[in-house]
Amino acid sequence: MSASGIEARGLAKAYAEVRALEALDLAVPSGVVLGFLGPNGAGKTTAIRMLTTVLKPDAGTFTVAGIPHTRPLEIRLRVGVLPESAGYPERQSGEEFLRYHARLFGHTRESARETARSLLAETGLAERAGSAIGGYSRGMRQRLGIARALVNEPAVVFLDEPTLGLDPSGQRQMLGLIRQIADARGATVVLSTHLLAEVEEVCGRVVILNRGRVVADGTVAEIARRAGAPRQGRLQVPPEATAEALEALRGRGIQAAENSKPGQLDLALRADNADDDVRAALGALLDAHIPVLGLELEGGRLSDAFLAMTERG
Amino acid sequence: MTAIALSPPRRAWLSVARQELRDLWLGGRALGLLLAFSLLLSAMTYLTATNSLLNFLEQRESANLTLQIGVAVGALLVLLTTADAISGERERGTLESLLLAPVHRVDLVAGKGISALSIWLAAFAIATPYVWFLGRGVGIVGVALAAGFAVGTLLALFLAGLGLLVSSLSRSNRVSLSASLFLLLALFAPTQLPAGAQQGWAGDLFIRIDPFSAGLHYLGKVVVDGHSTGQDISWLASPIIAAIAAVLLALSAARFVTLRGGGPS
Repeated sequence: MSASGIEARGLAKAYAEVRALEALDLAVPSGVVLGFLGPNGAGKTTAIRMLTTVLKPDAGTFTVAGIPHTRPLEIRLRVGVLPESAGYPERQSGEEFLRYHARLFGHTRESARETARSLLAETGLAERAGSAIGGYSRGMRQRLGIARALVNEPAVVFLDEPTLGLDPSGQRQMLGLIRQIADARGATVVLSTHLLAEVEEVCGRVVILNRGRVVADGTVAEIARRAGAPRQGRLQVPPEATAEALEALRGRGIQAAENSKPGQLDLALRADNADDDVRAALGALLDAHIPVLGLELEGGRLSDAFLAMTERG
Repeated sequence: MTAIALSPPRRAWLSVARQELRDLWLGGRALGLLLAFSLLLSAMTYLTATNSLLNFLEQRESANLTLQIGVAVGALLVLLTTADAISGERERGTLESLLLAPVHRVDLVAGKGISALSIWLAAFAIATPYVWFLGRGVGIVGVALAAGFAVGTLLALFLAGLGLLVSSLSRSNRVSLSASLFLLLALFAPTQLPAGAQQGWAGDLFIRIDPFSAGLHYLGKVVVDGHSTGQDISWLASPIIAAIAAVLLALSAARFVTLRGGGPS
């Protein structure tokens, strides 16, 4: 694994009687955008807080950007974090807030000012740089939080629920910004979110946590396949050919059923071989000279895998 | 963006103190507290001055009373500020961002403490003309102000340490403020004991042990009795010890500055 990614072994954390994380093993190569998924209470935020040295693990070891957990100050120098539900000093301006944090990361006064202005421009906040944060909208605060996470040009960026509470347009903007961080800066990005469709779009890799354990780790396609996420197909044929089409499909061993809509047939596809099943169904209908008026495929997406894996517990 | 040096800041406490000073003074919080302080001193000065004119209070006693109130309330303002320093950040959700910076937690605590002490300096500056007005003409103004500054600084350091310690350990701001004020009232209690209870070796020991009582007693000796500042210096032993101990405790408890409070996490 590249030295600038994340590697964790056996990370565990408990709060009193509650085990937040149990033996987390993680290996994230550098430059990857990782979707860090799981239901509420799965341990995502605890894991992020441990990897960013805000919380001490009860057990386990980790390295971030090649730096072992025994050197927390150095890890903090190399990571950028947007914490979950981060608060902001209401009376400070956006620029003042960023300048202060840049100073805490070792910037000189001049470079702190320059960095703050550049990041405000990058996150689309330049026009409100001098306004008090108290007057910022939720989306602006999240963008300011991302700007703060970038003051040290981090090798690894942790974004904990960056789209929480944002409207659809704000969510799109935020995901665009995340893509920009990954592309332009080449940083490893750990994105904790519940927006699974966006994870499919942005993330090269996905880790799913459930009850403090990793239940899946791989690409979106690998996870969907591994989870055996059910897929369904829907074929549209002329209504008068419905019975004939059903017979042709069943003749090829394909499970099909008539839908309530005339001429519509539901196909049950095998999770691990859905493409072959679709091909066979189309072949059967074409061989029987039944025109196919439409084909829709459903399921087999990350959301199905997520539900299958997290409900399984 | 310019290339940055990836090394922790050398004097992070200074950056923290600067920002805290800006927040405290430009944010208006300190000004509000000092306005209330000024009103209190004005009322006290009016009352002591009129009593002095009617010969109910000797002029030295008037100056001493106002000085003692200036010192005690000035130090109390420091306590109020530090009690909110860490637990307030925790409650407002701004602590995590600070904990993510590559600075030692002791730097955060020290910076916040230094900033809070500025309130004491401002309170003392405000109290100075009142003491001058009440003490002028009897040759005690200079010595009263010097002794008041020394005692007030020790008590402010003591309360800054105490406030930071409680704030670091408290899970909520309400708990921090309540615990700090309770401790303050406990410390003030001996000053309110009847004269009889302050007599004898036990009473003397009780007052000497309590930093507040000892410090204010020292001021009385210097301003009212006209003793030299060195003559009763032993009365400053407990304020000095308390200031050093509280500051050291607050700095060593900096490792308990965690997201949840209440101890290490």
